[in-house]
Amino acid sequence: MDFSEMNHQGEIRDSLDRILVEHCVPENLKNFDAAFKHDAELMSFLASQGYLGLGIHEKYGGSGENLYDLGILFEKLGFHAAPLSLIGCLAEVAQTIQKFSEHESHQALIASILKGDIHTSAILEPLNQDPENPLTRAEIAGDKLTITGTKYLSELASISKSLLVSANSDEGVLLVLVDKEHANVSELTTTANTPAFKVDFDGVSIDRSAIIHAQGRGLEALKYLLQTSMVMRSYLALGITEKMTALIAAYTSEREQFGRVIGSFQAVSHRAADCFIDLECLRLVSQQAAINLNTNHDCENDALVAKIWAGNACHRISYSAQHLHGGMGVDKDYVLWRYCLLAKECELINGSASQNIDRLGLNITANQ
Amino acid sequence: MGEMLIQLSPKQAKLKEELQEYFEGLITPDLQAELRDPEHFEGGGPEFKKAMRTMGADGWIGLSWKKELGGKNLSPMEQYIFVETVMRTGFPFPFLTTESVGPMIAEHGSDWAKEEVATKILKGELFFGIGYSEPNSGTDLASLQTKAIRNREGYLINGQKMWTSLANFSDYIWLAARTDFEAKNHKGISMFIVPTNDPGFSMTAINTLGDVRTNATFYDNIHVPESHLVGQPNEGWSLITSQLNLERLALVNHGPVEELYKNVLSLAQSTKINDNQYLIDLTWVQHNFAQVYSGIEALKLICWKQTWIMESGRLNMAEASVAKVYGSEFFIEAYRLLMEIMGELSLLKNDSELSILNAKLERMYRTASILTFGGGTNEVQRDIIAMAGLLMPRTR
Repeated sequence: MDFSEMNHQGEIRDSLDRILVEHCVPENLKNFDAAFKHDAELMSFLASQGYLGLGIHEKYGGSGENLYDLGILFEKLGFHAAPLSLIGCLAEVAQTIQKFSEHESHQALIASILKGDIHTSAILEPLNQDPENPLTRAEIAGDKLTITGTKYLSELASISKSLLVSANSDEGVLLVLVDKEHANVSELTTTANTPAFKVDFDGVSIDRSAIIHAQGRGLEALKYLLQTSMVMRSYLALGITEKMTALIAAYTSEREQFGRVIGSFQAVSHRAADCFIDLECLRLVSQQAAINLNTNHDCENDALVAKIWAGNACHRISYSAQHLHGGMGVDKDYVLWRYCLLAKECELINGSASQNIDRLGLNITANQ
Repeated sequence: MGEMLIQLSPKQAKLKEELQEYFEGLITPDLQAELRDPEHFEGGGPEFKKAMRTMGADGWIGLSWKKELGGKNLSPMEQYIFVETVMRTGFPFPFLTTESVGPMIAEHGSDWAKEEVATKILKGELFFGIGYSEPNSGTDLASLQTKAIRNREGYLINGQKMWTSLANFSDYIWLAARTDFEAKNHKGISMFIVPTNDPGFSMTAINTLGDVRTNATFYDNIHVPESHLVGQPNEGWSLITSQLNLERLALVNHGPVEELYKNVLSLAQSTKINDNQYLIDLTWVQHNFAQVYSGIEALKLICWKQTWIMESGRLNMAEASVAKVYGSEFFIEAYRLLMEIMGELSLLKNDSELSILNAKLERMYRTASILTFGGGTNEVQRDIIAMAGLLMPRTR
């Protein structure tokens, strides 16, 4: 049993804090509130400093395969409300290719990501509750695949060079790399203004070599992709809820009513304490899931537990924070509102708490 | 520093296995029958006493004690595993006597106390009731009024204690009494070993909703020699608080609730509700199990982390309180969710052939409510979390 972070992990945490606190000042964040929310300058700075290689094997120029390290990046991006949506690119695409691809051409894409290029995923489908079973089809004919279907909530698809797409075929589930130019990309406007896109594939014909995994391993690769995504989104949620809890503590320690700071009212401090408890639970289940996923590529129950806590903590802490801040919580000149909107996205993407409880319930009650 | 590691070490896993095997042998059908009797839920019966002596002889008492005091000096993690394994069996091991009072007496007691009391605790021959709370001193324990007046031969004790559990079969009370009436609250308290066979000692039973018996105990001109004082006069408060974190952690150990979860799960998997379906096939039943599972995972991790913090000799007040609040409130929720699964059958006590799991679920839910206020009420724990964890102002 050892809950301590390694030295390098503490250093990553501290240096990311230094970079992001300077970069994600309100004046800068405001620039992205209504515009395309992707801070290209920050992205290239993180690339130049090697942060995009967290969790990536040294042979690709990364800092070593470890999802815990990558988790720190997402936690910090969440904590500072950074205008970067990188779960598709860094967690889903880079990690899945690293674990499952045997082609040099696909592996080259990891190097491209480390340089700061975007390669994203197109996995989720409207009204498909089971992402392991895509509605998108890949018809196989000889060496060619023809892809037809609609994906959505694909992050940064408009500036992405390629898209990692999940599709069903006669050979089962496939993960396929498709050049962005072959897809029809249209922008969606989401609650937190995340750069999310709808992606249509209208009979796109590509080479069979676009399949990133060995034959018959598609479902395994997709499950890994989804679990990694769930766990990294839990880390993002951790950063968001950490910040909201810190804002609660700071604000209620200063705001005075009835001649005393409101944080000295037990009703207020106890609601804050409940946020702290949720936060601690979320931190621990996220850490457990990341560590287990490092050594075992199928830890669905751990990932589900992390995402269930993420959904619940995002919801509860967000509304506690808004309530305890009074009008300040919804004032767009204060910082809290951005976190509340981000929290709602984190809560619902990769399965809501209720949806994941359903899945977890099926898993743990299956008669062996 | 190595990689973060969230699992038992091979040595710890082996200890757990060893303990499981040991308890399988220790808990005979006779003992099980005795423990189902409400009079003996918490121990004190002949079979219980026999088992305790066996454990003493086999060296399973005093695991947390320092080696020079006759203990095994187990690490906090090993102690957690011990508590977990014992609690899973349902055996009412008297942790407070053996792991809190015992080592304090062995370390701070008089020669008499070390030889006569500590040694017998290690042998499983001697039991304590804890005399802390009073009718007007509960959460604000430092306001206690039981008096111990110094005289030439020792101390004269007068007062009343509440919730003195196990007093009905204990040899002694571990008693907190006021010895300095000028000093501010917690600065005037001393700890005494008070024999229950003294004519000035009496008690009345308090029967609780959980069928667990506790007691009101009365101390009427009880004279104890100085050898019955433990530690220095007026420094009892530090003895009371020294092991509070370990005690709180033992209260919210994840073992019993996980054991119950497994019991109910296998019952639901084998319970037919019609020709084609088992109870487990119902979606809402699966959801209840998933809620309990995700709650247990968090509890397990909180407890492990807290134990690991103790292992490294540090103290994190906020996280100790997180464990206490989260654990005690989760138990209540978990028992509710599990009882919902078995529905009305959960209401049956074990006098019916229809009752499930020997009515363990019915019994456990009734004893859960004491943990949100016992062992440091959750309001105070939340105050601590806000102050120590979030650096918020003290509540007034």
